[in-house]
Formats: sequence, C-alpha cells, structure tokens
Amino acid sequence: MIKIENLKKSFRTEEVETLALNSVNLKVEGGEFVAIMGPSGCGKSTLLNIIGMLDNPNEGYYYFNDQEVGGLKENQRTKIRKGNLGFVFQSFNLIDELTVFENVELPLIYLNMKKSEREQKVKKVLERMKIAHREKHFPQQLSGGQQQRVAIARAVVTNAKLILADEPTGNLDSKNGIEVMNLLTELNQEGTTIVMVTHSDRDSHYAHRVINLFDGQIVTESQNKPFEVNA
Amino acid sequence: MFKNHLKIAWRNLKKRKVFASINILGLSLGFSCAILIFLFVNHHLQFDNFHNNSDRIYRVVTEEHRDEVGYDAAVPPGFAKGFKTDYDYAEKVAKIFTREGWQINGTGNKTSQRFQENVAFTEPVFFEILNFPLLEQLGDQTLDQPNTAYITERFSKKMFGDENPLGKTVVVRNKETIQIIGVLKDLPENTVIQGDIFLSYETLKHYDRFVYSESWGGINSSLMCFALLHPNQNIAEIEKNLIQLVDKHRPTSKNVHRYKLQSLDDIHFDNKYGGVNVSLLWIFTLIGFFIITIACINFINISAAQAFTRSKEIGIRKVLGSFKQHLFWQFISETFIISLFALIFSLIIVIAVLPSFNGLFTLNLSVISLLDVKVIGFVLGLLIFVSLFAGSYPGILLARILPTLALKGKLTQKDTGGKMTRKVLVTVQFAISIVLIVATVTIGKQISYAINADLGFDKDAIVMVDIPENIERIKLNGLLERIGKISGVKNTSACLTSPGGTDSNWITGIRYNNKAEYEEFSISAKLADENYINTFNLELIAGRNFYVRDSITEVVVNEMVAQKLGLASSEELIGKHIELNGGDIKASIVGVIANFHDQNFHEGISPVFIAPQSNAFNEIAIKIDSQNADAALTGIEQRWKEVFSKYIYEFNFLDERVARQYEEEQRFLSMSKLFSGLAIFISCLGLYGLISFFVAQRRKEIGIRKVLGGKVGDILLLFTQDFLKLIFIAGIVATPLAWYAMNNWLQNYKYRVTIDWWVFVLAIGAIIAITMVTISYQAIKAATVNPIKSLRTE
Repeated sequence: MIKIENLKKSFRTEEVETLALNSVNLKVEGGEFVAIMGPSGCGKSTLLNIIGMLDNPNEGYYYFNDQEVGGLKENQRTKIRKGNLGFVFQSFNLIDELTVFENVELPLIYLNMKKSEREQKVKKVLERMKIAHREKHFPQQLSGGQQQRVAIARAVVTNAKLILADEPTGNLDSKNGIEVMNLLTELNQEGTTIVMVTHSDRDSHYAHRVINLFDGQIVTESQNKPFEVNA
Repeated sequence: MFKNHLKIAWRNLKKRKVFASINILGLSLGFSCAILIFLFVNHHLQFDNFHNNSDRIYRVVTEEHRDEVGYDAAVPPGFAKGFKTDYDYAEKVAKIFTREGWQINGTGNKTSQRFQENVAFTEPVFFEILNFPLLEQLGDQTLDQPNTAYITERFSKKMFGDENPLGKTVVVRNKETIQIIGVLKDLPENTVIQGDIFLSYETLKHYDRFVYSESWGGINSSLMCFALLHPNQNIAEIEKNLIQLVDKHRPTSKNVHRYKLQSLDDIHFDNKYGGVNVSLLWIFTLIGFFIITIACINFINISAAQAFTRSKEIGIRKVLGSFKQHLFWQFISETFIISLFALIFSLIIVIAVLPSFNGLFTLNLSVISLLDVKVIGFVLGLLIFVSLFAGSYPGILLARILPTLALKGKLTQKDTGGKMTRKVLVTVQFAISIVLIVATVTIGKQISYAINADLGFDKDAIVMVDIPENIERIKLNGLLERIGKISGVKNTSACLTSPGGTDSNWITGIRYNNKAEYEEFSISAKLADENYINTFNLELIAGRNFYVRDSITEVVVNEMVAQKLGLASSEELIGKHIELNGGDIKASIVGVIANFHDQNFHEGISPVFIAPQSNAFNEIAIKIDSQNADAALTGIEQRWKEVFSKYIYEFNFLDERVARQYEEEQRFLSMSKLFSGLAIFISCLGLYGLISFFVAQRRKEIGIRKVLGGKVGDILLLFTQDFLKLIFIAGIVATPLAWYAMNNWLQNYKYRVTIDWWVFVLAIGAIIAITMVTISYQAIKAATVNPIKSLRTE
C-alpha cells in the first residue's frame, strides 16, 4: 500500500535548515498495523504527515497504492486523501462549533454523499463507537476518551483503507487509552491498515511492526507478536 | 455543503459576539449610507426619462457672447417661430413660459379661495412633445384660445375639492378670469417642468407683452423652447445653421447669441443652465463608496486577524478532504450571512431616517421607492459585492493555512499573514477620514465666508415684501408713507429686486457717452426708487443720488462701470450720458456707488445701474429696528393688507434670502458632516475591534512586561505607537489628495477662502485624538490587569 524510497524532508527557517527526514525507506502492506517510535523531534510526525499527504517530501519517492504522490499539488493530494485516509490525532482535533454528529459527517460532505446516506453511515459508526447517545453534543461537552472515539468514528466513517494515528492516546488516561487502542486493533483486524506514531511502549505492542526513528533516519525495525484484543 | 457553511457561520457569530456586532454595526451603517446615496443619485438620474421619443426631444438654450460668455436656458420670444418657419429640423416646436408663486383666486362660491401657485403659459403642441397626460378635457378644446387653462389633479382638488373643475373659472393675479378646460395628471417629481396651472400662450398677452411678442430684442430667462426633432438629425450642424437667425434678427447686437440644443438627458445636469451640479452626484457616489470601503476594511481586518484563531478548524477541514476553494467559499458564505444581517438592519435604518433625509435633501422618497427594481437590484448587487470584497481576502488567508502546523498548534500569527495588508488598510481608513475632515472644514469655512462676508450692502433686518405688478405710483407712495410711520421702521424702498440674494437678474446693453456702438459688456439693472441707496446702505463714492422725475433722466452706476470702460476714476462718469435697455432709458450718470456683490459668490461683481423705473417695481424693502421687529412686522402686514386687500401678503428677510443662495452648499456641508462623522465612527469601530483582538493576543506579553517593571504608560505606548505611525503615513497620503480636491471645488467660487495648513494639522490631530480614545480604553484595561492573572490565562 505504501512504498517510500530515499525520502528526504528538510525545514528552513530564516537561517537554519533542519533535516527532519533523511533517506527514509519504508514499505507498509495493506492490512498491516505499524507503529513509529522515537524521541521528540526525530521526524515521526513529519513522516506521518507525508504518508498522510498533508505535506510533500523534498526528495525521494512516495508510492501510495502504486501511484507516485510525493510531487503532487495540494488539490491533487486532497483528491487522493478523501475517503482513502483517516486521521486520528493526540488532541482529537474536533471542530468545536460542530456537534458530534456533524463532526463525523464532515468527511462525507466533502465526498458529496447524499444526505440520507450520510445520516445512515454516521449513525452506524457512532453506534459502533458507542457514542450515539452523544450525537447532539458539542466536543467540549465530552470527556477526552469520548472525544477520541468521535475522532476515530470520523476517521473510519468513509471506510478509509488507511488510518494514520498521531499519538492517539497521548491525551488520555490509561483506561481510555486502552479502549482507543482496542478500537484501532479491531479496525485493523477488519482489514484497515494502521500507521501510528507513539511514544508509548504499551501502545506499540498493539502493532505488528515497530519502526524506530532517530534524527530522521530509521534505525531499527522489529516485529511484534500478534496482539489479543482486550475484551 | 452550503448548509454546513451556514451552520458554522451562525455558530461562529454566536461565539464571537463582540466582533460580529462590530462587523454588523459597521456594515449596517455602510449599507444605509450606500442605499440612501443610491436613492438620491437614482432620483436625479431618473429626470425626464419617461417621455416618448426622449432621444429626439431638445431644449434650445442661448450662449450670450459679450466680453464674457453668459448662459441662459431660454431663447428670445421670436426664436420658436423662426426655428419653425426658417428650418425643417423639427417635427414640433413649443414655447413655455413659467412663473413662480402667482396668486390664483377662486370665483363664485370659491371666491374666498386664494393660493400661490407655479404657473406656465404654453401651446397645445407642448403636450405632444412632452408626456404629461391629460386626464379630462372640456369637449375637444385645447390650449389654443386665450384665457383657458389646464390644471393638475392636485390643484383641482385644492381649489374645487371633489367638484368637476371643467368649465369652472379662476382669476390669475387678480386680473384675468380663466376657464379650466382640462385636467392633467399630476406632474411627477422627476421633471424639470414644474407647475400646476398651464395657461394658453395666448393668455400671456395680458401679462407680459414682451414675452408674448415675437421680439428678438432680449431674453427672459423663464421662456423655454422645446423641440421634437425629426429622426437622425446632426445637432452640431443645426447649431451651426442657427447662426443665420442671429444674423437675420440681431445683426448689430453686441450680445451675440449662439443657440444650442440641449438633449433631454442633459437638462437636469447642465449647471451652466441651472441644472444640478453633476459633480455633486459623483462626490456623493464616491463618499458612498468610501464608507462601504471603510466598513469592508473593518471586516477584512478583524476577520484576517481572527484567521489565526480559526486555524485549527481550517486544518481539520483540510485533513478531512476540503479543497482550498471549499474553504474560500465557506468564508464567503459566512461573510454573506453577516452582510445579510447588516443589510436587514440597514433597511430598518433607511426606513427610519428617510423622512429626515428627505428634509435634508428636499426629496420626496417613500418606502415604496425601496421596492423599485433598480433599488432592489442595487441592494442585491451591494450584498454580493460586499460579500466578495470583504470576504475574499480573509478567505484566501484561511484557505492557505498549512494543516500540519495548524493541527499541531505551531501556527503563529505570522504564518496566517496579512499584517502588512492590515496596516495598509488601516492607513487607507485614516487617509479617507482625514480627507473627509479637511473637506468638511473647508466647505464650512467657504459657506461661512460667503454668508458672513461684507457684500457691500446691508442685509440685516431688511424685510422684503412683494407688491402686485403695475400698481399706480400714487398707491405705492401712499403705502410706503404709511409703512414709514410704523415705529421700528427705519427706511423703505420700492424696487425690482434687492442688491443680492436673487436669482433673477435684469441684464441689458449699455451705450456710453453717445458712442456709436453699444459696449461689449452688459449691465445689470437695479430699478428702484431714490431710497434704495440708503435702505441698503450702499456707499456713494462720487456725485449724488438721482432725483425722481416723471421720466428717467438720472441714474446711479457702480464703480465697476468705470472699470469696464477703462476709466481712471469713477468721477469721470459723472455727467456722462448713457443709453440703456435698447434706448428705453436715456439718462445722465449723476452718482457712482462702491461695488457690491449683486449676485452670489459664484459670480463676479457686475456693472450695475440704479434707475427709478417705477413700472418695474416688484417688491419693497423695509429696514427695521431689530429690537422692535415683531411690532414692526405686524404693522407692515396690517398696512399692506389695507392697501392690497385682494392679494396674498408675503415677505421674507433679506439675510435669509442671501443664505438660501447657498442651499446647495449648505446641503453639501450637512452631507459632509454626516458622512465624515459616520466614516470616522465606522473606522473607530474597526479600530476598537482590532485593538481588542491585539490586547487579547498580547495578554501574556503585557503580563511579562509588567512583571519586569513596565508601567501602564509603556504598555499604552506599545499599542499606540503602531497606529501613530499609520496616521502619520495616512496624513502624508491624504494631504495632497484633500488639497487637490478642495482646491478644485473652491474654483467654483469667484471669491473663496484659502486652504490653511492648520486644517490639515487639525484633521490629523483629530484622528490621533479619536484613535487614542478608541484604543486607550482597551489598552489601559489590559495594562492595569494584575500580571498574575494575565500570565495564568496562558
């Protein structure tokens, strides 16, 4: 699904150029659950942003489903991203002015889906995330765990094939954190590919494979045993 | 999608109530001004646009080439006939002679009904050229017989109530009995022809022999000539060929006529010929545009500053698949909603202020005027324009936010951009405000100068009272004597017109000292009795006043006559013989008076003669003691009514009459005050919004500065210094613009004030003061907060 070759990304401020990613090579097969780990500033999020097509690399190639997407313009990237990719963030990133239902509905609106179809899909996913009773609430009225469940609902409502999660449990207590990881694992078991950036050793154990980044380079890669979903 | 945009927009409005209120209030005021100005301009653009064949209808006007060129919206009485018989350019030609405030009395059981009305004398063909529909007619009679008239429905109602007016009679100016033979639909507001009684041209022989005649000897400014030309005429060629009429009928006149054809569209706007000053409409339009711009700038600035606070939402939308254009249009929809709210408020404001607006600009607009297709089109266009104009820039800023930074909260104000643009826009607002203040002060100065300047004659405490035409000299003298005896009356004089403050001027040619030819220049006639000079306190600088004899043998002139004749001193005029008014007056100059402003300040001082031609007297001037004014006024009215029991008594004060000549300027001044005030207020709203935003953003910085020892003054300076710089730049930009604009405007006046440097200092100072007041409240509030509190909020 994802093939990255010799990827480089640097950021330029007024005087200093920082190399965030340096010759990164990575392959992720469909259905995999990959965790990316490493210390702060090692380039994890930059890599995730490029995989998520929110940013372009400076050099190298990025193939998504065999299509080179590294050099695409913003609107072209948006077109590919829509419906294929779902995002889950540490700080949930729900729109405060929209209700739970409306937040989850938003990606479907951008897919120009009919209203009746949207309603059906949103209701279904909210039920699955056990948050349907809160559909008319605004994000500030929910707990962190609930907000993250809404964010996951929003990521999967389009039946995205790839979910990119950026420290999804970073702002949650351990109970809610485990719940979220179980949800991601369930989704993965149903066939969704997951790439997750995390600082948490515990969370990384949910992944099939752990990639360690340091100073913009992949330093180690290890396989995990298959993980049992906690009931 | 649109629904989603609306939802977000609505919730954002609720969340950011202060900013929403500032935006809606500013835009409402902007919209209100724009709509009112549009109504005003539209009213003027609609003039005489309802006639059939309007592209072929022309009014013939006259350029009078003497030593200077004069313009008269009239033609000699003989012109219409000459134009019809000597040429074949026109299908129809009609004369119309208009008079204001003529007394109309009822007859029979309506005898007690007396009104003052605007009347016109015209020919049947006039109603075939211009479209004023006749609703009822007595048989098939038209205005071709003497002593017949059409009246409007309005006058019919006033004089006859619900009775059928056809066949009934009225008496015009206590002289002729006139039969009503037709009822016209009321003339609309938007036509240059005004009047309620249209008398047949044949009736004019009883009232004005000169205008009724086919004379080419002179022009009465109230005699207009309209023509419906054959299709496809070459106007320039017609005008060229009309010179033949001058050669034929006025071969030796020093006042060389050039007849011009003025299209129906131009009549209302050609201010050479008494039309409105079209530049005023453009200035209005420009000011409307300025005010809308200021309101939009507020919106742009506040929204752009807020782009930062909305970056998270934008980031999320982008991640979820929103294209840039979605975000752009989302913001435009939000602007649309705010503008729509503002529009609704503005319509309420417009309806509420319409009566005062009508009063200020002598209009008669109603709420129904708002339902006109053009007005609706304008309002919708304005809504769309403002949504796009005000929404585009913030929309672009929002759409280009980088989601990766926005979602990580790493976005800074710098990344959202727009700081420079904001500075430029605020500077533009300041510059507009400075220009408007300079304009208002200059217009005020000029008008006050014109009204208060020494005009060379006394205008205070002088009452001007109308008298019926052609009254016997003996009766008039009796009245003057009786009025003179009233306590509080100092002086009286019977005259054609006062020295200044009048629109109607009798201008004629002059032959000096038995020269073979008339002079190149013309002379203005002030026909009056011997008390004129004393009553108006005119200064006699040479010779003496004239004596009144049975015929006119002596005249007094002003020193401008000597100047025009190139004489070294006014004394040289004394004893010289002059011939005036085509030989009607042959007299000696016995005195010279100092120059005075016989016309308004737009014009220069003309040569003037004063001669006792009693059959031309129209009014009497009475100088009263202002301490005793009420008693004097009552006495004057009483005496007047005893002598002229059948007439309507009317008087006015000369100083008010002089001031009325500046009505257009007064209106312009009121408008400038109103709109500059509004423009400044709307700008302040925007500044208030911006400063509240900056204060909120820099709360932490203020806290740190205070902890480190910063005083309130330092923190106030932090916020004000940027704005002071912008005001300074705005001053540099606005000064030459304002100077250029006002200098141009002042060129309309022969006598004008100078634009002093202090006006600019005052304007810039005022803007600094207003800005300080606007931002100080927020800045001081922020600066006096305990730093612990501001640091904790972060």
